[in-house]
Parts: sequence; structure tokens; C-alpha cells
Amino acid sequence: MSRVLLVGTPNSGKTALFNRLTGLNHRVANYPGITVDLSMGRLSTLPEHELVDFPGTYSLRPISEEERIAVDHFAKALDAPDVAHVLCVVDATRLEKSLFFCLQVVRECRQRGKAVTVLANMGDILARHNLAIDARGLAAGIGAPVLVVSARTGEGLPEVLQRLASGITSEASADPIPEPALLAQDDESADQALYAEAHQLAERFGAPADQLLLIQSRLDRFFLGSLSGGLSFSLIMLVLFQSIFTWSAPAMDAVEAAIAGLGSWMLPFLSEGIVRDFTADAIFSGIGAFLVFVPQIFVLTFVIGLLEDSGYLARAALICHKPLRFFGLSGKSFIPMLSGVACAIPAIYAARSIESPRARFLTYLAIPLMPCSARLPVYTLLIAIFIPRETALGGLVGWQGLTLFCVYGLGIVCGLVVAGVVNRVSAGEAQMPFMMELPAYRLPALIPIARKSVQRAQHFVTKAGLVILSVTVIVWVLGYFPNQGADLGASWLGTIGKWIEPVFQPLGLDWRYGVAIVSAFLAREVFVGTLGTIMGIEGAEDNILPLVEQVQASALPLGSGLALLVFFAIALQCISTVAILAREANSWRLAVRMVVAYLCLAWLAAWLTFQIAAAV
Amino acid sequence: MVAESQTMNLWELPTRTEAVLVGFAPALAERYRGRLLEFGFHTGERIVCQHQPGFGAPRVYRVSNATYSLDRELALQVLVSVARE
Repeated sequence: MSRVLLVGTPNSGKTALFNRLTGLNHRVANYPGITVDLSMGRLSTLPEHELVDFPGTYSLRPISEEERIAVDHFAKALDAPDVAHVLCVVDATRLEKSLFFCLQVVRECRQRGKAVTVLANMGDILARHNLAIDARGLAAGIGAPVLVVSARTGEGLPEVLQRLASGITSEASADPIPEPALLAQDDESADQALYAEAHQLAERFGAPADQLLLIQSRLDRFFLGSLSGGLSFSLIMLVLFQSIFTWSAPAMDAVEAAIAGLGSWMLPFLSEGIVRDFTADAIFSGIGAFLVFVPQIFVLTFVIGLLEDSGYLARAALICHKPLRFFGLSGKSFIPMLSGVACAIPAIYAARSIESPRARFLTYLAIPLMPCSARLPVYTLLIAIFIPRETALGGLVGWQGLTLFCVYGLGIVCGLVVAGVVNRVSAGEAQMPFMMELPAYRLPALIPIARKSVQRAQHFVTKAGLVILSVTVIVWVLGYFPNQGADLGASWLGTIGKWIEPVFQPLGLDWRYGVAIVSAFLAREVFVGTLGTIMGIEGAEDNILPLVEQVQASALPLGSGLALLVFFAIALQCISTVAILAREANSWRLAVRMVVAYLCLAWLAAWLTFQIAAAV
Repeated sequence: MVAESQTMNLWELPTRTEAVLVGFAPALAERYRGRLLEFGFHTGERIVCQHQPGFGAPRVYRVSNATYSLDRELALQVLVSVARE
């Protein structure tokens, strides 16, 4: 097995190429800094070769954490004997920004005797505008073969594979060229010479991209305009949250009806007793209550995918820079924070692209407060209980969607306030300036985004589903025995629940909600499954009622519902997030402190909410 | 007619006006200077300020075929010359 390294500047389309060549489906997006770790996969047509995708970097001299990781790994990999070839990806539409790094890479490869091929990606965009680069001239200038390719259409990739298959070591010089290694030195004059060379090559062999930039500039005039920019940003965010309810509602209704229908059809076949009770309470009420939310996870991931692929997110980061700076964050914090709306774990990884250690630390504090998709089932359940499914403004705005927008806003505001307070009370180094490449706008590729959304929904079901199934079984056993479900309050679960009830009583929540909250510390989604199981045992009906109706029938006060929403918006209840935080921040102490602090804050805020609601 | 030139920092450059980069302020830290050079901000390079979003947000500059966003702190350290007829 030999390895092929895939390197390039940020947003040059490396990961899209990686996915094309390996058949894998790693995360891609249209803004710089999406790949923050190494990815590996076998070439689908040459399984004896493993392709290694590196995070993008502008130079072999890193200024951020993500670049340092990329450069360190690249330096080590170049010395490894099993590395046979290096593929250096450049953006054919913007050669200037890629060629400095490309020349550094070619020089390092020649110095170490490794074969290198330059892939000029996005050739399809140039072709669409009747533009082209002079690949042959560029190859002569760089001193390495140049192939024009397109990760989107697959153009040029058979030639790449052919090169790797036929002459994987043929380009490597037997005797390494004795050039000084860039990785080991810091020579400004050598850099200056390379800058000049890169500039000359781009001017001579690159394509004039005025036409491409004209379209981009027109769109920027709208999306970055003083008034239109702010309005469009607010509108896009509102549509994002509205879509979670409106687009997924039919699918959610269908899943709910299917579960109820399956239960009504299946249960009469089971004889009265423990098996029938378990199937009704744990499987249909517990697991079923959780499965209803899968369409929402799909829609959320799909809409975020559309934004990521369009190139808009870099503009949103720019718009948000100034307000975020007030809280000690950077415009670059926006992208990890928005990713946190889907899941905190990739968001924490994405924070590596923030050069300033202080802004990165403050972003870590804010991310767990972003309303992640695991919170969505809890929010949706509580909103559906208290907010009618009605619309306003001629059906344009749904009250449930609007409430969700506000609840999400609460999490975002909490994240900003925490970052701002910590920034003001703690000492630290000054902020680093903001500089960011703005990617070209493009039409999102719908099929890969849909595929990614399906994967995310599957991951949600398999990962959380296993935990939910286990917890549901445990909760059901504890709730069913010793009296065969006759009296939930007298069950083992009831006894345990009453021990912890004093903690949640000030929030107006009885022991059933206390048990569901405690079980949610494994994963937030477990709350819904646990509550579904408890309500299922208690209800003891033959019909499988939706959880919303069961909670409505239990007369949960509005104040307690709001307190629950606030508690879930703030509490850090995800074990995986805590572990990744500890690893990325290199501090278990920070992670544990955050869990304790957010838990105390969540309880206090929930108590305050309940008190205010009771007073009103 | 003799063309004169006016030197200013990048933040002062009006929208859609072309300028030529003449250098960096000595106060600019080495690593940011290096990154700007990697982006293509070389002496003699033509730069256009394409957009000035409101409320002090970072501004958008075109250098060769690429566009970059720089905040005030950084743009103040980049010196450009604008032809004045």
C-alpha cells in the first residue's frame, strides 16, 4: 500500500476531489478552512493507493492552528518511504492565490525526491466562460506536470488516475535536487523570489477572470450592502428556522402516522402481558417519539448545506465581524457557531481556523450554547405542546417556526453574553486582525448536499438511537416493575424519581420530567424517548398517542414548559461534545468547568423563567 | 497633463478606485505581512476597493483575480498610491 498526498490552498476543492477519487463523502463547503484534519481513503479504482487529504494552507509557514497541523503532517509525510506521489491542487480560476504554495510544495517534493503533479481544479468554471489556462506553459514554469481537472464534473480525473497507476514513482528524481528545504528555514529573500515567480507565472499562464469577478461583485453589492446586507442576512436566518418546521412538517406527520398505524396494527396480535406492554410503551411510545424528529434533522442539514455551498457564509462572517468583536469573538467565529446549529462537534473542529487563540477560546465557550440539532426534538416537542400550528401574514410565517427562531435566538444570545463576560473579566492578548478570502458564489450542488443530509439523519438515528434504545429499555424496566405498570409512582423509577424531584420542583416539574432530564445527560435527544416511555407506561391505552397529546393531557404548566426550554437551551448535556472540547482546548479542566457552570446557569435561568411566568 | 499620485492607506481608498500597492507600514507584524504577500499583496500590484459594507465591517478588496476582506486594523497598515490627474 502506498500513499498519495493531496494538498492545496484553502477552498481550492481538495476535499471535493478527494470524494471523487475515493468515493467517500467527506464534508465540503464553499468557504476557506473547512478541512481541519487529515482524511484518508483508498482510491476507488486503485485500491492499492491510499489518498490523504490535508487541511488547506496558503503557505508552508503556518499562522494558525489548522495550518500548523497541516504543515507538520506534510513535513513528516514527505519523509515517509510509503509516500509515492503528491497531488497539489490549485484553483484554476485564481492562480495567484495558489501558486506561491504550489511552488513551495513542488520545491519540497523535488528536494525530497517525491513525484508531484499539479491539479488545476475548477476547469469547468473556466470552460463555461470560454476561458482556459495554459497548462503546458505553466507546467514548464513550475517544473511539474499540470492537469486541468474538475472535481464537480470529474473532467481530467481519469488522466490523474492513469498517472498514479502507471508511473507513480516515475516523476521522482532518483537523486533529490539539492535545494534548501523551505520547511526548515525562514528565509525572507527566498520567499520574495517565490512570490515574484508565482505572480509572473499567474500573469503569464493564468486566465483573466474579470467576467467571473463581475458576477461576484454584483452579488456582493447586494449581500454586503449596508441595508440590503443586514436585511438579507436576517431573512436568510429566518428562512433557515422556518424551513425546519414548514418543510419537514409533512414528513413528520407521515412518520408519526406510520408509527401509530403500525402500533395499532401490531398490538392486537400480541397477547396481554409484559411483551405487549413493552412493545407499546418502550418501542412505539419511546423510540417512536424520537423517530418523528428525523425529517427535521434532514431539513436542517440540507439548508445549512445550501448556505455552505453557495459561498454566502464567508460574506455572513464579514457582516458579523464587527458585532462579534464586541463580544471578543471574530467574524471567523460565525462559521463554527452556525455549524454548531447542526452539531457542536464539527463546530469545535471548525474553530481551529480562527487564528487568534483568545477568539478561539471564546468561540469554544459559545459553541455548546448554540442550538444544536440534538436540542431540536426537545424544542419541537415543547413548542408543539404550547404553540398552535397556525400561520400569520397570509401563511408566510408560522407561529411555531417563529417561536423556534426565538428559542434559537436565546441560545445564540446566551453564547454571546458568556463570551462577552469572560472576555471582559479575564486578561488575554489583543485580538488579531481579520483577513479572509471571499470565495466565488456558486449554485449549490443539490445531490451531494442531499446525500450528506441523509447521512446526517442516519447518523442521528444510529448514534442517538442506540443510546435511546438502551435508556428506553432501562427506563421501561424501572418504570414497569415491581407492579407490572399498575402504578408508575410506586415503581422503582418512581422511587428514584422522587429522590431527584426536589431539584426540579422549583421549576414546576415533577419527578417524571426530572428523570427525563437526568437521562438526557447521555444525549439530549434521550429526553424525548424517556418521556415517551414514561407517558406510555402511565397512559396504559391500547392506542399509541403522539407524545405531544400525552403531555398536553398531563397539564404541564406553561411556566414549566418555558423553564424546560430555557434549561435545555443552556445546559451542556452532551458527553461527546465535552470530550472533543477537552481534546481541542487541551484542557479537561476547562471542559468540566464548562459543564458545571452551564448546568448551574441553566437551572438558575430556568427557575427565573418559571418565577416570572408564575407572576405574570 | 502630468499625473500626480497620492499615497494613502488602504482603508482610505474610495470604492471602485484603483490603486497601486506601495508597501506596508513598519508596525505591521511579520506574519500578517507574510500572509498578505501570499494573498498577492505585492508592491506594484493593482488593488481595487470593491465594497465598503456599513457599520465599520471589513472591506472587500480585489487583488488580481481574487477578492479578500480586510478589517480596518489591517487595512490601515497597507499603503497604496492613487493616480491623480
